[in-house]
Amino acid sequence: MACDAKLSHTAAMILQAIDAGFVYGFSIMEMTGLPSGTVYPAMRRLERDELISSRWERQSIADAEQRPPRKYYKLTAAGNATLESSRRRYPLLERLIPSGEEKPV
Amino acid sequence: MKSFPQSALKALQKPALDCASLLVPTSLRSDWCREWRAELWHVRQACNLTGEVSWQVERSITYFCLGAFPDALCLRWHSWKGFTPPEPLRGSPVKCILSLVATVACFYVISILTPGVRTARRLAWNHAYAGVVLIRNAEVTSHAATISSRQFQGWAAGKSKYFDGFAFYRIAQRPVQLWSSQRKNCKIAYATSNLFSLLGVPLRFASQTASSDENLRDAVLSDRVWRKDFDADPNIVGKVLHVHGRGFRIAGVAPRGSWRLPERVDVWLLEPDSAVRTGSTGYVLAHLSSAGEVEMWAPRVFIKAYGPHDSELDLLGVSLDQKVPPPLSVFLLGVLLAFFALPATASVSMSEYGLISHKLTWPTRLRRWGFLGAKAALVLIIAYFASFDLACAYATLFSPLSVYLHLSSCFLICLAGLSWACRDQRQRCPVCLRRVTHPAQVGLASQTFLGWSGTELICAGGHTLLHIPALPTSWFSVQRWLVLDGSWDFLFAR
Repeated sequence: MACDAKLSHTAAMILQAIDAGFVYGFSIMEMTGLPSGTVYPAMRRLERDELISSRWERQSIADAEQRPPRKYYKLTAAGNATLESSRRRYPLLERLIPSGEEKPV
Repeated sequence: MKSFPQSALKALQKPALDCASLLVPTSLRSDWCREWRAELWHVRQACNLTGEVSWQVERSITYFCLGAFPDALCLRWHSWKGFTPPEPLRGSPVKCILSLVATVACFYVISILTPGVRTARRLAWNHAYAGVVLIRNAEVTSHAATISSRQFQGWAAGKSKYFDGFAFYRIAQRPVQLWSSQRKNCKIAYATSNLFSLLGVPLRFASQTASSDENLRDAVLSDRVWRKDFDADPNIVGKVLHVHGRGFRIAGVAPRGSWRLPERVDVWLLEPDSAVRTGSTGYVLAHLSSAGEVEMWAPRVFIKAYGPHDSELDLLGVSLDQKVPPPLSVFLLGVLLAFFALPATASVSMSEYGLISHKLTWPTRLRRWGFLGAKAALVLIIAYFASFDLACAYATLFSPLSVYLHLSSCFLICLAGLSWACRDQRQRCPVCLRRVTHPAQVGLASQTFLGWSGTELICAGGHTLLHIPALPTSWFSVQRWLVLDGSWDFLFAR
């Protein structure tokens, strides 16, 4: 997908949230305030367009914390470039979800 | 302890995920299920951390689970190469039209499945009892049978200026052999074969195929007997019942509520005019000719007839046509009244103020008015079916009460529906016809007379902004549309 492609505000918010360290579905929902029926399909589309990629957490880590493993998402190179152009397009994006607000994974 | 709604919502959550997983392509299903179950666990943990244990929490978790359906559909659409998923329907004109069409379908199905409504519609379309007169002796005040079969045969054989058809029936109590062994005492009407065609009553299951056995005459069952003694068998036509050892072929079933003549009848046995037993007395029905309709201006009319040996007979003709207006006329009157009353209940202005500087193209205008027309047409169709269903459900067919009920329900449904159609149209973007959303309160009520105070709504497609004043003033009395120019584009992905 071209990095100057126009993303919807919702997709841009999700990219910004992932960049800010909210790297699994529920945390993105909490950060953006979007419902599950919007966040997960949007992430499928972003993954299909190779703007984000996903990987499963190691089972041993999840077992140690006595919880099921999570699926984590991260931006690809194309995703980073698209996010940059989206920030220019939506100037309020960084104020809504500041990039510095790193969340421990 | 958990309340019932709480337990019910919790019981819904996992089955909802399982159902949604069926929409996911098989190759992705296990991974998808694993992710959603893990997320559900984390959602539940997060809710428990807040310490709230209420049915609102379970509701939030259930909403989260319902989000699995759009996600599963999204994956399914991705698996179909070249398929473009439809745009979200929320607030779209397509959703509005689909909802109205679904409502029309619901009421249509109700009218088809409800026997009373179906019969009423069939009788109304067939103009049952129109121009039919029951003739009886004027000197007898009761509904007793007073006309002899000989008199009937004389009238039926002769020519009359005022009547173009006669039918006759007489009542008798007879044991009828319904099945091979079952015998039952029934009220039988021995009637001439043209009885139902003269009344204009269509028979259920009636077939045009004649009996293979020419000796068998036709019999018609009442709806009550057909349901009670034949278990509402739809393949009843062609079966044989026996009265006094004589076989009769069942030719159809009289619809419920269609018999409005003296005496309750279980079975009608239809015979040719020549076979009517001499010496018996019964009821004579006559159908008015066009000249007769002119003369029959009152519900009752005295008839002077001549019997055998030129003896004079004083007869009374009682119209069976209740002169109630046909359902279509009642419906049209209701629609007309609703259109007259509409300006009193809703603003019929489409608020094109503000659009004057930005003229809409002709196709856009046509689409807008076409959409309003389609909504109004569907509302009227809903009113047609719903009012008829109501009238038939709560009142006797063709009674004055049913007409009043039909008219009032039709008027109210049309008025409410058309008001809604106008209000809905005023809240739709004139360009894309989507409902404007995201209401924002702007200004202060105390500044109403100094500055702008009211609500602003925006089109999700980024075409227009709608201003609705909080308090109409002389300079801002109605809502206004602002067409958004290119400077707003950065807010919307197009």
